[in-house]
Amino acid sequence: MIETVLETEGLTKYYGSTLAVDHLDLKIPQGCICGFVGRNGAGKTTAIKLMLGLLRPTAGSSRLLGCDSQQLKPAIRQRIGYVTEGHRLFRWMSIAELEKFQRSFFPKQWDDKFFADMIEYFNLPRRRKIKHLSNGERAQVSLALALAPNPELLIMDDPTLGLDAAIRRQFLEGMIELIMRQGRTVLFSSHILGDVERVSDRIVVIDKGVLRANCSLEEFRAAVKKVILSFADSTPAEVDIDGLLHCRRSEKELELILVSTTDDHIGKWADRTGAERYHIVKMNLEDQFIEFTAPPGRKKLFRWEEI
Amino acid sequence: MALWIQILPGSSEPIYVQVAEQISKAIARGELASGDKLPAVRKLAAELVINPNTVARAYSRLEQAGLVTTKTGSGTYVSDPKLRRHDAADINILTDRMDTLITRGLNLGLEEQDIIAMFKGRLAKFVNKKAERRKND
Repeated sequence: MIETVLETEGLTKYYGSTLAVDHLDLKIPQGCICGFVGRNGAGKTTAIKLMLGLLRPTAGSSRLLGCDSQQLKPAIRQRIGYVTEGHRLFRWMSIAELEKFQRSFFPKQWDDKFFADMIEYFNLPRRRKIKHLSNGERAQVSLALALAPNPELLIMDDPTLGLDAAIRRQFLEGMIELIMRQGRTVLFSSHILGDVERVSDRIVVIDKGVLRANCSLEEFRAAVKKVILSFADSTPAEVDIDGLLHCRRSEKELELILVSTTDDHIGKWADRTGAERYHIVKMNLEDQFIEFTAPPGRKKLFRWEEI
Repeated sequence: MALWIQILPGSSEPIYVQVAEQISKAIARGELASGDKLPAVRKLAAELVINPNTVARAYSRLEQAGLVTTKTGSGTYVSDPKLRRHDAADINILTDRMDTLITRGLNLGLEEQDIIAMFKGRLAKFVNKKAERRKND
């Protein structure tokens, strides 16, 4: 049986009267790389901090490796890696000092050679202070610090934000390297859907604090569809197709965004409503995400009007 | 072998399909011959920087198509073309695709013999590669 390494139940957080995370029920199985996506302000960082016990929930609970997030004992914390948004590291320490400091939290499993090899690969001087490193170099130190303790569960909050393509790729390689080891799990948030698609086998989508999807990446890819139907005279008044998320109309065309509707059902619905033609548009992950998290009735920001 | 597989994130084609399509093309061209071993799932995943499950999914798609066979504990091998089977449905799909190409060609104003010549030219690229490969072995 596959274990659940991360679990939340009704996890909720209000900041004053603002609802940031809304009854999140999430289960992440062991052994996956899970891409955690949502628009800016969707509640990803808050959810991650709640999971790690860095924030107190207003209601609900969460568990990491079977332990309540609010009462994570050092023995459990040693098995969890966390990379903060923006790679905040102690600026006054040198790389070597930071390694020593970080190693003290993971006395049993810190891999000195692995850390040294990574720092050498990145060509970083160990005696340089963090404050004298560039953003990219700081991110590289942060990646080495995250992987050296060989964490069972690695949680990274937008680790590749603002990084160049080469350093982003190093993070992706790091995730793949970790996941190849027995029983390792990664959860990372990102806005770069190409990265998510590349390394994830699972995707979690939240929108306005609400969980919208938690499934394999392939299921998500197969589930969200765009269909364009053309009608001879006018579009049907009622669009009663299963799985309808958005419906946009022009005079003789319907553009539908559907979730989990089979191609067979689409064909039958098109026949029943007397559509002249219909076309199932293949979308990429980014288009799927934009449609999936779009508010109802969304129009394009700029439109070409025919004069 | 991983070097010639190109991953295009952001494509409407899922990554596992991209990997499977490129390997099946290599088999058709004879760059991979019957009995050749595909890279181990984890090795290819690390080289391409993609999830190992994505590689496994690509391999199982190739296996379903009869292009490779997996020997437990040993690896995935390109299967013997003589043992591959096709049925009427496979042939139907093939003729549909050919119809699409012929339609395009005729609508571009190409003559019958032009289309036949193009088809033979492209086919030769696959067949010649296979012959070359046999000679080298």
